[in-house]
Amino acid sequence: MHEGPKSSSMAMDHTSQKKEVSQKFKSLGSIPVNSRLKALREDILNSQYHICTQKALLLTEYFRKHVKIDPLTRALSAIHYKAYVRSIEKASQQVYQKRWQVRLNNKLNAFYIVRERLSKAQRRIEFAKAFRYILENMELRAYELELIVGNPSSYRVGSPIHPDLGGLLMLPEIDMLDRREQNPLDIEKEQIRALREEIFPYWFNRSVLARIPLYSHNPDLFNIMLEGSHFILTQFAGISHVTPDYPTILRLGFKGIRDRILNKMDEVKSEIKSAREVAGDPEAFRAKVMLLEDKLAFYEASRIVAEAAINYGRRWSAYLKTEAEKVKDDIRKAELLELSDIFKNIPENPASSFYEAVQCVFITHAMLHQESFQHGISFGRMDQYLYDYYKQDIENGKITPEKAVEILGCFVGKAGELLPLFFNRATEYFSGLSSASGITLGGKNEDGSDAVNELSYLILLAYDQIRLRQPNFHIRVHPEAPPEFLELSYEVLKKGGGLPAFFNDETIVPAMVRTGFSEEDAIDYSIVGCVEWGCPNKSFPAAGAGFINLAMALHLALHNGYFGDYKIGQQTGLPETFKSMEDLLSAYKTQLVHMLSLATEGNDAIEMAHAYHRPTPFLSIIIDGCIDSGEEINDGGAIYNTTGFQGIGIADVVDSLTAIEQIVFNENKISLKDFTEIIDDNFSKDQELRDYIVNKVPKYGENTGSADRYAGLISEVYAEEILKFSNPRGGKYAPGFWSMTTHQGFGRRMGALPSGRLAGVPLANGISPCNGWDRKGPTASMVAASHINNSLITNGYALNQKLNLDYLNGTEGNMLLDGLIRGYFDMGGMQVQFNIVDPQILIDAKKHPERYPDLVVRVSGYSAYFNDLTESMKEELIDRTLHCLENCSCG
Amino acid sequence: MTSNVIDKDIATIFDIQRFSVHDGPGIRTLIFFKGCSLQCAWCQNPESIRPQKEMAFYEDRCIGCYKCEDACSYGAILKDIHQRIDWGKCTACGDCAEVCPENAIRIVGKSYSAQELLEECLKDKTFYDASGGGITLSGGEPVLHVSFLERFLSMVKENTISVLLETAGNYPFSLLESILSFIDCIYYDYKLPGSDEYRQYTGSDNKRIIENIKRLLSLSFPLDIRIPLIPGINTTPEQIAQMCETLSNIGIKEVHLLKYNFLWEAKIPRLNTKQRVMNLSDNILDYDKIKEYFNMHSIKALL
Repeated sequence: MHEGPKSSSMAMDHTSQKKEVSQKFKSLGSIPVNSRLKALREDILNSQYHICTQKALLLTEYFRKHVKIDPLTRALSAIHYKAYVRSIEKASQQVYQKRWQVRLNNKLNAFYIVRERLSKAQRRIEFAKAFRYILENMELRAYELELIVGNPSSYRVGSPIHPDLGGLLMLPEIDMLDRREQNPLDIEKEQIRALREEIFPYWFNRSVLARIPLYSHNPDLFNIMLEGSHFILTQFAGISHVTPDYPTILRLGFKGIRDRILNKMDEVKSEIKSAREVAGDPEAFRAKVMLLEDKLAFYEASRIVAEAAINYGRRWSAYLKTEAEKVKDDIRKAELLELSDIFKNIPENPASSFYEAVQCVFITHAMLHQESFQHGISFGRMDQYLYDYYKQDIENGKITPEKAVEILGCFVGKAGELLPLFFNRATEYFSGLSSASGITLGGKNEDGSDAVNELSYLILLAYDQIRLRQPNFHIRVHPEAPPEFLELSYEVLKKGGGLPAFFNDETIVPAMVRTGFSEEDAIDYSIVGCVEWGCPNKSFPAAGAGFINLAMALHLALHNGYFGDYKIGQQTGLPETFKSMEDLLSAYKTQLVHMLSLATEGNDAIEMAHAYHRPTPFLSIIIDGCIDSGEEINDGGAIYNTTGFQGIGIADVVDSLTAIEQIVFNENKISLKDFTEIIDDNFSKDQELRDYIVNKVPKYGENTGSADRYAGLISEVYAEEILKFSNPRGGKYAPGFWSMTTHQGFGRRMGALPSGRLAGVPLANGISPCNGWDRKGPTASMVAASHINNSLITNGYALNQKLNLDYLNGTEGNMLLDGLIRGYFDMGGMQVQFNIVDPQILIDAKKHPERYPDLVVRVSGYSAYFNDLTESMKEELIDRTLHCLENCSCG
Repeated sequence: MTSNVIDKDIATIFDIQRFSVHDGPGIRTLIFFKGCSLQCAWCQNPESIRPQKEMAFYEDRCIGCYKCEDACSYGAILKDIHQRIDWGKCTACGDCAEVCPENAIRIVGKSYSAQELLEECLKDKTFYDASGGGITLSGGEPVLHVSFLERFLSMVKENTISVLLETAGNYPFSLLESILSFIDCIYYDYKLPGSDEYRQYTGSDNKRIIENIKRLLSLSFPLDIRIPLIPGINTTPEQIAQMCETLSNIGIKEVHLLKYNFLWEAKIPRLNTKQRVMNLSDNILDYDKIKEYFNMHSIKALL
């Protein structure tokens, strides 16, 4: 009785406080333009892209010094290197290794491993020490005006190469890197020399890339992977797509983390001791001790990297002090000294202020990139884990919202300084040089209440002032999300750049629970990389690991397992043997499952190669679960251990099935055999048939019965089948439908499809309708997309929805956006992102790239500068936008 | 039930446009009813005037395969590249459109039962709810379909969908009255200075149009008067003055102006229509001035 009114008035206080905040920061102009952020933005935009060999050099230096190579290996590998480089060069021209070459490579690699005499445990420690060596010796640099410092690479905007992972695939192209057609990068002559003569000769037979084939029985696997028409696997490039446990790092500091490690070490030591004391079964005793020794090595490696992080902070503190002394300007001097003081505390100790917390997150991000590949390393729910620091500083009068935006803006700018490095072929599939770092805002608290706070607004406002291609911003939406916050995000979106994207708590959380996440962890989900929802802090989701060409499964079903002369699929019968759609669908499923088993086998090999040959000790101490279990992240130490596999071209398969059903089985216009022959001939013998299909057969995206039904079916089959596979880390493969630009790469390698899509044309992106065939406007394509089975999708999907700016003006435009998002989410949609750009600008930008260095567009799940896209991607975007103007009712 | 449907159950609709954002608040589905009681010289939808289905020929899409010729039972296909359909012979059965792989021949108008039309509308129901939208009846003149609408709109209302009517007002009030209870708001077109101009350009005077506005005002029915601006026909100061006088007299204080849309002229060669290209352009219009003229006559004009 007594409690009642009190608690209700408290609740009211809370609500009115929230209301006040939202009124204060609900519009884009509520924080004045910050001149520092403006200048920083210019500096970053004007920086040349550069390849960075710093990590490669330091790593090689360390290993050459400390891991001895015996003379026989040295002699043999000198010859082997030349031959291997030749085969990599040939592969880049699509001449693939013969089986005998694969076998010989494997034999040689097995031989090297024996001669290396480096146990898994020792290798762990060596890589930890190498990480320490890199942090001790890498160049430190604070750029002008920066309030947040840290160097993910040795250049302002740089792209590290990783010889220990898959970097060797760059070798055939490094001479041309600054002149290549797509995503050119500057490279120095000396860098080329070092890569050729020092770095790759050491790593070519020790890298993850070299050792993957040892873990697969299929000698063709490597070639299928490189050929890239059936599926794409990415993890040979490194360990990425993960959200480190920033809340714990901020709370404990690396000293606190080291203390946890030391405690665990003591535990293991005493366990070893007590194991020795128990007499009895010697074999069991040996096994147990080996296991414990292994754990001990893990903790030793962990201790080394935790201390390396602490010392790295001290290095920064000293460096900043020296820099401050050199600076004449008093204001800048004071800023540098303040930063120097900050580094006296973090990342060693718990963060004591908002500024320290933000700096600590970034310096950790920068350190992490000295270990593995720069792709999809995300920041999680920043508005949540930074809020207490912010609130405390505001209450103490230590900070103002304007200052917080300045700090956050500096952070957001830094996060845009990193580029992933892809060899030419990979660039087709991952065009745009997007490092895909995600920041997630809003959503729900653990008790289900709304989680938006003042920082959620300020982070959006900080992005608005920086507006670089990275990081990606993601908004979690649920029915109680504050309208003012959503309105601010619509305003941010309408200014262009395709950010933020929107995610539906109401469908994502249940899907995660259904596939094995705890309620508590599911409600705390955030976005890794482009669109992949997952649990931050305690999982290694490997969310971008694989991309499966679904249209290829259909092609194989129509060709009895053949792709050209090459039999890669199962023999499911010739088209004339299919008497009904059921027969065809069953063949499709058989081909799909076969492709999945090939692809997962390949990915398993990659993951095992990582676990044995390229441990990542630093990542392992900043993902929850590893320290407790004493297991490396690559061995399954994280609490959740999924691997994300995406199905690509779902709209193409759906439209193809709809067309076959209508013209072969319902209208009896043509037999499936004849139809297949016409398709194989790229419709050149029967253009009218193609026109009939294009014009008369309903398409996915038009919200008609049969296409919607197949969208549900095909998505369900994919999700169910991929969930049957397990990875070597003890987790499941997780289904997603997002494509980056893999739909282009796959499309280029495929012939025509029954849908009427011609040979070489890109497949549809994400779960979006095929280009130009969403002829009934955005609501129809959203209703169609809502038929994608949402119950099991745990690795994200991307619906790219294009909208014209002309009707989105003002608050009325916001209401339309709100109506589209909420209406679609009410129907079960999980994610949507909008591309709002004026096609005239895109056309001009294609002609005059120099005029638009900062034009950001959203490409199927991630954001990229328009200038960094391939020419065909640019054309696709222009077509997509123009089409909308000419044909949609929304025009 | 299916074999013997009574007329009341069927309406001829020539387009259903989802995600319409210019015809009322929020996200709306716009339903175009075929048949009109006016014949405006500048009608944006010349295909809407006749109540019956009709054919349209898109010359630029035709590849000359003449599948249409084989399909036609009436010998109504001509070999002329510019005019494929012999309007005198054509019965608008639609067989040619069905076989045309390019959609170069199309049938304008499709029969919908109230239930079928409702299902189309329900597809975007969540979007209406989330955006404060609904359906908008347009045309043609939707009110001419009153018996269909009585049935259809009662079903729409059972699904709590907001209904907006776009009308030109040229019919006896009793028609409108019987469906008024289903309608949430009316966008009412008023087009020309006076009765003479109405007769000249639309084929009918404005008596009933004015009368019906008065009736709606007396019921305090939510009403927006909309004036489509036609260069030189209702845009000179004198023409505006006359329009304002007529409207002020019946108590109108605010109107919405619609910019002239010349895109309708593209449709003319495709159809069997008496409407002729007018070559009007809104380049000559100064929309701010026009608004000012209205304001001078104490009518607030919104654009």
